[in-house]
Amino acid sequence: MSDIAVGVDHVTKSFRMYHERNQSLKSAIMRGRTSVHEDFLALDDVSFDVPAGSTFGLIGSNGSGKSTLLKCLANIYYPNKGAITHFGKIAAMLEVGSGFHAELSGRENIFLNGSILGMSKKDVTRKFDEIVDFSGVEQFIDQPVKNYSSGMYVRLGFAIAINVDPDILVVDEVLAVGDAEFQEKCFKKFADFREAGKTVILVSHSMETVRAMCDHAAWLNHGELQKVGPAESTIAAYISSLHPGE
Amino acid sequence: MKYLQEVWGSRELLFNLTSREVRGKYKRTIFGQLWSLANPLALMLIYTLVFGLIFKSNPLPGNPSGLDVFALWLLCGLLPWTFFSSVVSSGAGSLVGNSNLIQKVSFSRIVLPFSTVGASAYNWMFEMAVLLIAITIAGGLVLPWIPLLLVAMALLAVFAAGVGLLFSIANVYFRDTQYLLTIVLQLWIYLTPIIYPIERVAAKSSSMGGLFGTPLTLLGLYDLNPMVHFVALFRQLMYDNRWPDGIEWIICLCWALAALGIGMLVFRKNERNLAEAL
Repeated sequence: MSDIAVGVDHVTKSFRMYHERNQSLKSAIMRGRTSVHEDFLALDDVSFDVPAGSTFGLIGSNGSGKSTLLKCLANIYYPNKGAITHFGKIAAMLEVGSGFHAELSGRENIFLNGSILGMSKKDVTRKFDEIVDFSGVEQFIDQPVKNYSSGMYVRLGFAIAINVDPDILVVDEVLAVGDAEFQEKCFKKFADFREAGKTVILVSHSMETVRAMCDHAAWLNHGELQKVGPAESTIAAYISSLHPGE
Repeated sequence: MKYLQEVWGSRELLFNLTSREVRGKYKRTIFGQLWSLANPLALMLIYTLVFGLIFKSNPLPGNPSGLDVFALWLLCGLLPWTFFSSVVSSGAGSLVGNSNLIQKVSFSRIVLPFSTVGASAYNWMFEMAVLLIAITIAGGLVLPWIPLLLVAMALLAVFAAGVGLLFSIANVYFRDTQYLLTIVLQLWIYLTPIIYPIERVAAKSSSMGGLFGTPLTLLGLYDLNPMVHFVALFRQLMYDNRWPDGIEWIICLCWALAALGIGMLVFRKNERNLAEAL
């Protein structure tokens, strides 16, 4: 596996921590400034490569910068320094059902959400049956989604997102949705993905999930990359850092 | 150029978001799309009563159409205005209102303000169609002017889109913008010859002469308002039924291109920062 799917190259991302944030014209004019802030480094010079065809886990404690990195990968945030290059179509699943309109039917929302995620109408039409089938909401597809149970809502959102069919899939902890049966379906879908030679980047707090699914992993702590490499050893290093006495 | 390509590439998403706005808006109402006619109709009744009958705004009859109906004269200016003001005010809220989407999905953000233009334009088409029928019944020969009217509508849509883009960005950084905007729009409608004829301003202007001893006249200042020219365009096409002055076309074109150009530049500059700023 010499090919690289995503190259993260010296990525640094800082956020402004506002001591006072003036989102009003009055204060901006009266004080002649809009804010007082200091920078907070969410990601500090992080570099690693994600091999093509791997399932790559990002692990770390809360506030370690995982989600920031994920958002950088998904082109939602842009790094202050460094660059992220990806080879192939990338799709991100940070939330399912983004942009659903509650009053519109499931069918209408599939087309709407599909196009927000970058699918053409042709793609959606072609995959429509598969999406509906996967979500398991056929019976209610012409009902407004506001009448869906939360499980149905999430399943439909997930089914659309998984059918975007990217080369690289970036997933936040949305796996923890639906019942056991649906989760099994999702895992199977990820396995299919892997078999098709595609790359999955996954953020999770569940070490079992990462261990079961990922072959590579990166461990972040306070914005710094601690370790990157085969999943097993990275997880072991992370866990032993949590229990220093053992 | 690459940016324009990206925007063009998102046209399908633009269409879908527009139809989300249009279809979602009147769901679960009994009268549905008819509600979009209710607002201009109510405004027409109020203004006709107050400024047509009580204050006697007395616009000149249409030349050469010969139309002399205050309500129709009013609507020829009022409908383009309500379109403009709805694009600008809903455009201003489009980024803040969709902050959840912006923080979770990567897509060409500019489709959000643009989709409000599409949704407002859809309603506007209905209103204009009704107005055209009313003018035709009243005896105006407006139907041959429809192609030019569509051009004028497109120009106003481009202008409104540009202004909407600017306000959408401003609203992300200063949430006061939306409240300020309501006031600005209220002022703006009275600075535009919609409920009174521009001849009143011209008469006042010539009686005052140059302001503060300069050659600048009141009318000259008044003409800086782009909506004056757009309204003139619509009145001449629809109410007078004649070819508008060439200069009006040029002024409107310039304003439209300038607004969109500046709007897109500002938008593009701030686009990447939106997910953090919201």
